[in-house]
Amino acid sequence: MTALLSLDAFAVHYRTRSGPLRAVDGATMAVPPGSITGLVGESGCGKSTLARAVMGSLPDVAKVAGGRMMFEGQDITHLPERARRHLRWRRMAFVPQTAMNALDPVQRLLGHFFEVLQGRGGLSRPVARARAAELFGLVGLNPDRLADYPHQFSGGMRQRASIALALALDPALVIADEPVTALDVIVQRQVLDVLLALQARLNLSVVLVTHDMAVVAYTCDRVAVMYAGQIVESGSVRAVLEAPLHPYSMGLTHAFPDLQGSEAALVPIEGAPPSLLNPPPGCRFAPRCPFAQERCRTVPPPLVAQNGHAVACWRADEAVALRGLAAEPATWAAMALV
Amino acid sequence: MIEAIDLTKTYGTGPRAVPAMAAVSLAVRQGEALGIVGESGCGKTTTARTMLRLEEPSSGRLLFDGRDVTHLRGEALRRFRAEAQLVFQNPFDALNPRFTIRRSLAEPLDNFGVPRAEHAARIEAVMRRVLLLPAAQWLDRRPHELSGGQLQRVVLARALIPGPKLLVADEPVSMLDVSVRAGILNLLRRARDELGLAAIYISHDLALIRTVCERTAVMYRGRVVEEGPTAALVAAPHHPYTRALIAAVPVPRVDQDRTPLPIRGSLADAPPPAPGCGFRNRCPAAFARCETDTPALRTTDPGRRVACHLGD
Repeated sequence: MTALLSLDAFAVHYRTRSGPLRAVDGATMAVPPGSITGLVGESGCGKSTLARAVMGSLPDVAKVAGGRMMFEGQDITHLPERARRHLRWRRMAFVPQTAMNALDPVQRLLGHFFEVLQGRGGLSRPVARARAAELFGLVGLNPDRLADYPHQFSGGMRQRASIALALALDPALVIADEPVTALDVIVQRQVLDVLLALQARLNLSVVLVTHDMAVVAYTCDRVAVMYAGQIVESGSVRAVLEAPLHPYSMGLTHAFPDLQGSEAALVPIEGAPPSLLNPPPGCRFAPRCPFAQERCRTVPPPLVAQNGHAVACWRADEAVALRGLAAEPATWAAMALV
Repeated sequence: MIEAIDLTKTYGTGPRAVPAMAAVSLAVRQGEALGIVGESGCGKTTTARTMLRLEEPSSGRLLFDGRDVTHLRGEALRRFRAEAQLVFQNPFDALNPRFTIRRSLAEPLDNFGVPRAEHAARIEAVMRRVLLLPAAQWLDRRPHELSGGQLQRVVLARALIPGPKLLVADEPVSMLDVSVRAGILNLLRRARDELGLAAIYISHDLALIRTVCERTAVMYRGRVVEEGPTAALVAAPHHPYTRALIAAVPVPRVDQDRTPLPIRGSLADAPPPAPGCGFRNRCPAAFARCETDTPALRTTDPGRRVACHLGD
């Protein structure tokens, strides 16, 4: 199956006074049509920069520094802004972390829909009005509330409105950047359920950017794990959660609380991600990895895929044995002394 | 160690008064950790701040170590502050950016009148406790030179250095990356065990609370609606709200329950008028009595309390 969106050794660097900050530095991943793909990683790993690069809305200080990005069969790596504008809203749309960033506080909700549906989509006002009501219904909001201002909505309602707006012109791809992080757990669940229902009904492709493995497990079909600007592992959610190949993914599964799971204490991954101004020469996780060997510290491992499960680790062949070791808290605790 | 009896905190006066916390009764023993969970605005932070006497309660009593501290003032309140410490949520703005770590740790010692001659030893000991070793390598740095996880260790050290008997942590790891959260939680747990502290953790994250707290209280609209041993409460919640809260938490596994939540409406809906249960407008099991009687916390199984008419 041809991917809807694919990135190949894609890089985005920020211009800083201390030299280029390699926010995304050789990321390779693919988003199949009609699925929800999680892009998971910690703060500063480059996941939000990657999302903005896909949307073609990078800030001025950021530049595509290498690699290739394909969308619907078209190379959009260096697409001029005019052509980009044509894709935004129509073929791909964005749901931000807090809808307050996307919604104009002095404009009623209906006004936001008019802007997209009339301005971008060329619909007539009456058709746009009907479509806005339909979209509100789709996300479980009362169409009467289109006359409200954003501040009259709760956080969860604003996030639903934001999803409805993203769907206005029937895009093939929706990128949602931490769409439920700021919400309380019950509202979070309700918004995720809206997203799941819409994905199935409209056969959308969604990229869900998050730091939360549980949200990925609940919502996504596939997941790409990002660390220090690179995709270190990707595959079906089941494969990555139940049989992780990368030590970082293994560590995350023990660092993350599971309300219905064992009550064993959580195991931290010692240390902190490397500076992206001056990343380590080999594997970027090597300084925190209990299994790192000499080669890991000097030569970056390539991302190798087998049966749809890709990993960038020199010791991937030994993953079964390493998983056993990674389940021992002592394995990770030893890294505190390094 | 600390006991709240019918603590109430109301903001504003007259008909517009908003009770942030209504008749909260909770107790934490020495060496025990109590989790307080609930959604934004449920009153959990107000409860924590009032139990630390950062807020004065509107009514009710607060007992600490057998003494009534409800209305302490001046020097007595200052002494209580040394014994009941808060761990801040955001390590990135909890420390003065111009102070070295050493100065940030010495400041509470000065505030609580610890002689200068003892400072070095106390600082060395607390750095060992939060595993920032060797201490000399960290003490002359400033906050911007530390990662979030390292900063939170300093924040914890700063709370521990006066030698408190009670530690209150309000979302102590919510600003931190997943990979380092466990490290902070483990430090908190060890400090509590080794120093015999009483601890209160405030969080919206029940999965996280479960890893550190033996007992948990669930708050909804300013009231404790359920309280009990965490394991029992998670395995078999009694209150319909607790049930919804637990069902809503996603777990990091592919196979999990995806049935719709047993709850209606949203927290944003207007609260139902008193008297009556504050949850009745969203409760899937509400019946006539819930409209008229406000349910009191009653003991069900030993050590468990629930404020619900169901099964009464």
